[in-house]
Amino acid sequence: MIDDARLDPEAVGEHVDWRAATESELRAGFAQGDEACLQEVFRRSAPLIYTIAYRALGSSTDGEEITQEVFVSAWRARANYRAEKGSLSGWLIGIARHRIADRQRARGRDLRLVQAVTKQTDVQVQPEALPTLIDRIVLTDEIGRLPHPRGRILQLAFWEGRTYPQIAEQLDLPLGTVKSHARRALLHLRTRLAEVTS
Amino acid sequence: MTHLDPDRLADRALGNDDPLTAAEEKHLDSCAGCRDELAQLSRIAELSRHPEELAQVPADAIWRSIQGQIASQAPAPARTEVAAKPPPSPPTVTELPRRTPRPRSWLLAAAAAVVGLIIGVGVTTVAVRDQVEVTSSTALEALPGQTGQGTAELVRDQGRPELRVQINAPLTPDRYREVWLINTDGQRMYPLGVLPDDGRATYPLPPALAGQLQGFTIVDVSIEPYDGNPAHSRESQVRGTLPT
Repeated sequence: MIDDARLDPEAVGEHVDWRAATESELRAGFAQGDEACLQEVFRRSAPLIYTIAYRALGSSTDGEEITQEVFVSAWRARANYRAEKGSLSGWLIGIARHRIADRQRARGRDLRLVQAVTKQTDVQVQPEALPTLIDRIVLTDEIGRLPHPRGRILQLAFWEGRTYPQIAEQLDLPLGTVKSHARRALLHLRTRLAEVTS
Repeated sequence: MTHLDPDRLADRALGNDDPLTAAEEKHLDSCAGCRDELAQLSRIAELSRHPEELAQVPADAIWRSIQGQIASQAPAPARTEVAAKPPPSPPTVTELPRRTPRPRSWLLAAAAAVVGLIIGVGVTTVAVRDQVEVTSSTALEALPGQTGQGTAELVRDQGRPELRVQINAPLTPDRYREVWLINTDGQRMYPLGVLPDDGRATYPLPPALAGQLQGFTIVDVSIEPYDGNPAHSRESQVRGTLPT
């Protein structure tokens, strides 16, 4: 995270409008145990956590349960959260990863039981590895947060398969500018991904 | 040659058409660090081409259940319902203070203690009946979201310190109640024992508490699940503070 300024917890106080809070203010407020701050953390990160759990387990019910568990256990363990060590979303994703793995293991047991009972030994299709899935979801989220025109350039290049000359023409930008944005955006994604999933 | 410029590696990972110079290619061949960097950037570029749209999260429902869970977590010895600011939705109890409470929390704690002192019934009333001396007592009041009331009396039965508790409050069959003495510092508590379903019991106190209670003046009755977990369930039903 670029901004690792540590706020005086007193300065954060109880009058902060958390919706406008920076990441580092949120970290401080969270560590300090402000429930209104937790709500804002939830507002910002729940879509990411839910999508990861939902896609990994293929069930909206599991997605909801995992999301709930992640925020409750993060709240209970907030004394262990070290703001200077990493982003909140990274910490939440770490908790989610464990919970999802637990459920996948439990399901594996269920499946083996069923197979043992039915003598059915068909190899199931190997689902996408969890770390790759998480990276893809985080990257999609981050690309969506990139400022204009950087985000649009990446969407056109990555998601719509346009060439840089096509993008330059469509957005009415010099080709060099388009390439430079794409390059900067890729390096930014790399930094964010390292913060969130390391 | 120095390491390759990240911009150049990004270009390469993106498949941009500016080819690396011979010197750059040569460095890449011999430098594991730059190759690793390039591999990471290439992987990110590749993964980014396969977006995974964020799903619509039923946020309100999930947030409500999170709130329900964290609200029923901690007894609030130091920040009682009289001192805390009005909660957005009625939690059953408020939070245990953090390990290093802010001054504000201590103010609230002090305020709570004062209020406790005022609402405490029968300040140092001494009644003698059958050699049982009531040294102090307090009304037990329902916490937000709970119903019920009762009394707690600190007595000396032939010199032995005891706590008499009597409450009238509903209980479902899948739960039992336990009585606790909580310190006003909000950090420490003693379990005194199970409260029978009729809501009446007398508990001997640990000898060291016999005199001034050592700050363990908050009488707390919790509702406990049959989970074999000896810790406080964080769901308090009624509570009061003994005057000292």
